[in-house]
Amino acid sequence: MLVREAMIRDVSAVFEDETIETFTHICLRKRTAGLPVVDEYYRVIGFMSETDIIRNAVPSYFSLLQSASFIPDTQQFVQRLAQMRNRPVIDYMKKPPIAVADDDTVMYAADLLIKNGLKTLPVVDEQNRLIGIVTRIHLIHAASHGTISE
Amino acid sequence: MDVLTVTLNPALDRELIVENLEVDRLHRVKNPKYSVMQPGGKGVNVSIILSGLQVPSLAIGFIGGFIGTVVEERLREVSPLISTSFVHVEEETRENITIVDPINDTMTEINSVGPSITEEDLEMFMRRFRIGLKRSRIVVISGSAPPGVPDDFYATLSEEARAEGKVVIVEAVGPLFEKAVESGAVSIAKPDLRGAQELFGQELVELEDYQGAAEEIVSRGSLMAVVSFHIEGDVIATSEGTWLLSTKEQVERSHLLGTGDSLIAGAVHHLLITPDDYFGAAKHAMAAAIAESAYVEKMIITDEDVIRFEDFFTIKKLR
Repeated sequence: MLVREAMIRDVSAVFEDETIETFTHICLRKRTAGLPVVDEYYRVIGFMSETDIIRNAVPSYFSLLQSASFIPDTQQFVQRLAQMRNRPVIDYMKKPPIAVADDDTVMYAADLLIKNGLKTLPVVDEQNRLIGIVTRIHLIHAASHGTISE
Repeated sequence: MDVLTVTLNPALDRELIVENLEVDRLHRVKNPKYSVMQPGGKGVNVSIILSGLQVPSLAIGFIGGFIGTVVEERLREVSPLISTSFVHVEEETRENITIVDPINDTMTEINSVGPSITEEDLEMFMRRFRIGLKRSRIVVISGSAPPGVPDDFYATLSEEARAEGKVVIVEAVGPLFEKAVESGAVSIAKPDLRGAQELFGQELVELEDYQGAAEEIVSRGSLMAVVSFHIEGDVIATSEGTWLLSTKEQVERSHLLGTGDSLIAGAVHHLLITPDDYFGAAKHAMAAAIAESAYVEKMIITDEDVIRFEDFFTIKKLR
């Protein structure tokens, strides 16, 4: 099975110079947690997710803690978020982006999603322009129907 | 992507078939197939019909809330040839309710207004529109606009598209349509006359009025005007002449659903294959509309359907 048979042709994206505030608005309204980041030619240059915001807003030692209650000053988290709000997504996005082509196999896409702990992968054309996305839940659906390895 | 369709005010179309519809009475829908829910809005409908004609398109516009999400997801489910990039807004997308009564041959429509659009929404849209333009050959701007969209917005979109060398097709009503035509940037202009039979402040009654309206549109810079004349005809005007295209058989009013959008899709399909042949596009468009009118419900017609109906109308030269 190829990516083109499992992909969603949603080319919604956030531009590299749009702000974290704009990104948050789009995600809230679309009920999604991440979006491809594109340039003026709609080439995918990164991926921005809520995880990237959290990672940049909490202290670097956060991942070593068992619980957020160990953070001595939550005010610091709030202040950091306020500072990030008007910054462009390019400052915080994951780059280079991990993407697939529509003629890649779904097995390859699943491998990338699992290895990199991602929920969504952008699908790009030969010029690296966004043509859709593939998500974990769609691959699970394909796998559960036995079509993933066909 | 060959075609960019703009639907500023998409809708969830709910179509009910109810026999002997009467106000102030309880009606039950007899068959689940008589209660259909599908993505709608004129530009969205064009994308759907184009997919049946094997033409890929990118649908953009504003969408919002739970209904908006349903519209967007259902639209992508129609065909892999439809891609979407809607700007999500705060308020809920509208619903359009159509009740078809095949016994009395009536069609009752109730359309809601749509979500409020902010300056910020418009800016986000413009950026995505410009990117979409670069990836397409024909732009279809069709339907009503939700609150907050300025009257000259279709004119602005048309001018940007024409500056990029694109074919621009506009179907709308009122100031949105008239200002777009006045910009001189529209290639094919089709007033949506389902409501008031009026254009540029003139009431349209006789065939001469419709002919005058079509010629007025061309005189303001459009390459072709398509003005529906009652149910069975379309007045077509270009700089080379004016014609009345009429169906050979009577079309039932209850079969009109989607015919206007099929007409636009037919024109787009022809111009992609034969650019600059506008009168040919008008004939192909007419055949597509007649093909659609063969069905009560909104159907995704195929190229074979259109070819089958190429001979089902007459052409009379008016000028």
